Amino acid sequence: MTTMTKSPVGLANTVLVASLAGLVIGLAIVLINLGAQGHAAFNTTSLGLMWGLPIVTYDYFVVTSTGLTLIACLSLTFGVRDFDPVARRCLWLALATLLGGVVSLMLELGHPLRSLYAIPLNLQTDSPLFWKMLFMTAYGVLLLVALARGGSRPGWGLAIALFAAALGVALLAGSVFGMMAMRPMRYGGEVPLAFLAEGLTGGLAFAVLGTYLAYGGQASMPEGVKRLMTGALPKVFALMIAITAAMVASRTVTGLWSNLDGLQVWEKIVASPLYHLHLWAGLVLPLVLMLLPSQRTDGTLQVTAALLVAVALFIGRYEFVIGGQLVPLFKGSWAPAFIDYAPSFTEWMLALTSLSLAALLYTAGDKILDLGALPQGED
Amino acid sequence: MAKWGMVIDLDKCTGCQACTTACAMENNRLPGENWQDVLFYTEGTYPSAQLKWFPRPCFHCEDPSCVHVCPTKATYKDPNGGFVLIDWNKCIGCKYCMIACPYGVRFYTDEKPVVGGPTGGPGPDIREVFPGDGKRSWNPPWRAPDARDDWVHGVGIQPKGVVSKCTFCYHKVSKAPPGTPDLDEDDPALKEYVPACVRTCPPKARYFGDLDNPESRVSKLIADKRGVRLKDETGNKPQVYYLSGGAGPAVPSTRETVKKT
Ligand code: SF4
Ligand code: SF4
Repeated sequence: MTTMTKSPVGLANTVLVASLAGLVIGLAIVLINLGAQGHAAFNTTSLGLMWGLPIVTYDYFVVTSTGLTLIACLSLTFGVRDFDPVARRCLWLALATLLGGVVSLMLELGHPLRSLYAIPLNLQTDSPLFWKMLFMTAYGVLLLVALARGGSRPGWGLAIALFAAALGVALLAGSVFGMMAMRPMRYGGEVPLAFLAEGLTGGLAFAVLGTYLAYGGQASMPEGVKRLMTGALPKVFALMIAITAAMVASRTVTGLWSNLDGLQVWEKIVASPLYHLHLWAGLVLPLVLMLLPSQRTDGTLQVTAALLVAVALFIGRYEFVIGGQLVPLFKGSWAPAFIDYAPSFTEWMLALTSLSLAALLYTAGDKILDLGALPQGED
Repeated sequence: MAKWGMVIDLDKCTGCQACTTACAMENNRLPGENWQDVLFYTEGTYPSAQLKWFPRPCFHCEDPSCVHVCPTKATYKDPNGGFVLIDWNKCIGCKYCMIACPYGVRFYTDEKPVVGGPTGGPGPDIREVFPGDGKRSWNPPWRAPDARDDWVHGVGIQPKGVVSKCTFCYHKVSKAPPGTPDLDEDDPALKEYVPACVRTCPPKARYFGDLDNPESRVSKLIADKRGVRLKDETGNKPQVYYLSGGAGPAVPSTRETVKKT
């Protein structure tokens, strides 16, 4: 196989224009539909499914953002110099995906502006959502501060704080679900760890995609980037895909085996082709690609694996967020069997808005800022 | 201070849904937004299938998960009476409380209508017939007096973008004379303070009183007739107890395990 040689400028410009178009079209449709119908534009209902695709999208991007920051922290916090060449790029990509996720949440909330002051002012320290918002705010600010330092390496304090904030957001994002004892499909202490692992896996996938989008192919990569892309990165990527696949498999087997009331949703999930696309095409196939020494350094295969993983993690997030609600809380005529849900057109357009915003911010940032700059200074 | 609670005698409940109707009238609920619902379900298979029903308000839990998860303290436990209420001035419509409530008793009404409109079957979406005035999410001409609107306690017709649920008729119960052990609709001096569902129940299957008062009827019924709580394993400790003497309906414990085809 040959490495990709497509012109980076041409590809980046295509992504820039496509994401701008996606953002304008997606946002316009969402705003018009929300304005005309309110949240009736979503297919969520009080009698069954309360958190739909917008929450899936939000969590997907926020968790991916934390993974990207943790990859940057390998260099910035832990001094793993191999990762220096992508540190700044990952930070910027983390900011872009964070904002992509937040836009989906904001358009899903009943009172988005009120949330900005009602959450910090009321100090409900019992709520995982309170802590998640607190950590997300700190995380966003720290990302901006680290990026504002340009090419220079953040100081020790900032580097540690950034790492802690990203870790906190990933774990808390999992806790929001994992602490819900009444939703057995989502309940458990391993859920925050699964979010962390999926964040890292998604972060690596986005880092691969972002890097190839910037340079086009290995031929035009600076030496350090090329060394990373043919060295440590695909190996770590393979490891994280393996861990994620193992987590999916273990949850599935436990879910199918257990007779705990509420876990019967696993039968429904496994019966769906999406699940198999997620596991086999989205995790196992990329794992094989990244495990084979002769293949894992190939640029085309890396991009293929990254795309497959990025889609698979989105499906996995969908199964987790939606699946946890498909079993009615208890039996009644209003919800006799599994609850039906399919995202509405408006919800899909909101997902497009998030994706487009993240892509637009990233490609625009790559044009304006020197994202390939090596962090300067001592650890 | 009282800890208000309800006892529902399932042996007496006929499933007539007068409670549901009374609640809807008292609190101006949208069609299908049943703060107080009666759930119907079948158990078993033909020829031994049984039709069952189960009345279900908000349980005003002692340790409510909806309160723990709410990031803004919009959902709160009122120390004066033990009500679980929603402050509509604080709610951001995140719906986390709906995810956390094990009983499915909360409603977010800015969505497709449950009854009427393009997706809810015959009849119009009543919110379009009586559109909101900027303050209320809809505005029926027969609504309760404006003076009774109390957003801090979730009483009245909610504004857009917030969650609503049964208040145990806070606007009535909170005005009861302090120290009252039971709110009995048969006592002329107290009947105005009785929750609408309790006051209306034709077979008198519902009792309402102070769970902290050992002399109250509800306390005695729970003790003497072994009151049980729904899904107690979640740790929410409902302040609504069921009596199921065994003759007919029972508190549903597990979900059906046979998949419907
Ligand atoms: S029944 Fe649900 S809404 Fe009511 S107090 Fe309990 S947890 Fe909260
Ligand atoms: S929807 Fe409102 S009441 Fe429910 S958790 Fe969110 S802010 Fe609290």
